[in-house]
Amino acid sequence: MKDTRKKRPKPEINMTPLIDAVFLLLIFFMVATSFAPIPGILVKLPPPGMPQTSQTPQNLILRISDPDPGVYNGVMVLNENIISVDRLLGAFQAATLKQKEMLIIQSGRSVLHDQIVLIMDLAKRADIKKIGFAMVAREGI
Amino acid sequence: MKIRRSRRSAVELMMAPLIDATFLLLVFFMVASQTRVPPSFPVELPDSLTRHAFPMKRFNLFIGREGLMSIDDSMIQGLDELEVFLAKNKKAIETLIIKADKGALHGYVIDAMERAKRAGIEDLAIGVKETPGGIMID
Repeated sequence: MKDTRKKRPKPEINMTPLIDAVFLLLIFFMVATSFAPIPGILVKLPPPGMPQTSQTPQNLILRISDPDPGVYNGVMVLNENIISVDRLLGAFQAATLKQKEMLIIQSGRSVLHDQIVLIMDLAKRADIKKIGFAMVAREGI
Repeated sequence: MKIRRSRRSAVELMMAPLIDATFLLLVFFMVASQTRVPPSFPVELPDSLTRHAFPMKRFNLFIGREGLMSIDDSMIQGLDELEVFLAKNKKAIETLIIKADKGALHGYVIDAMERAKRAGIEDLAIGVKETPGGIMID
């Protein structure tokens, strides 16, 4: 009995288009991948449930009013004194260690996010440990 | 004059190891890739000198200048939808990165933070601009 298969020419798979496609995919994933971490500011939320009322005179309390139309930043009041942006870092650094435990930001809703991030940045630079956002308690929440 | 080269057997490249290596690289990049998914509206992040580094993940919350919200590239209509989404995906999220436009109102960001807290997310991050020379803190 003869093996007829041996007579046939060896079947070959044409690899070229496959390799082309694989290279294309490789280049796509190489370009689309980014390993760089995202820069951000960490915010730890308090446990849900009871709202915290940890306001004591020892804390730094920064109140920010809603900005007037056409004005970028809202007026800031740090512990009852009106303060400008450029003097804020100095004021944070001059605070006592006890005050540096926590900064509470009481801000109007229309204050721009940019200003809040700037204040958080300044607070971090002055080694303030915690930042709290005061929220207005609403019914039904 | 004879051409000697024509007598030699054709030079062949060994393709098999090349293809093996390429496949390996392909699989690596497919597994490791986390592509950036931009939202459908522009978001200009605020700048901050001090910052932490967070690994890139899916489910970033974008907040636009007018208060538009989207998780990656899918729009979120309203805070209730946001809360439902976050509660459903909180295992995968762990740290929710909020990328809010610098011109967005603080009220929008606070609302989103409040809903994240109610959805059971404990850690948040506020995304800042990728500028060189920031101070990394832990």
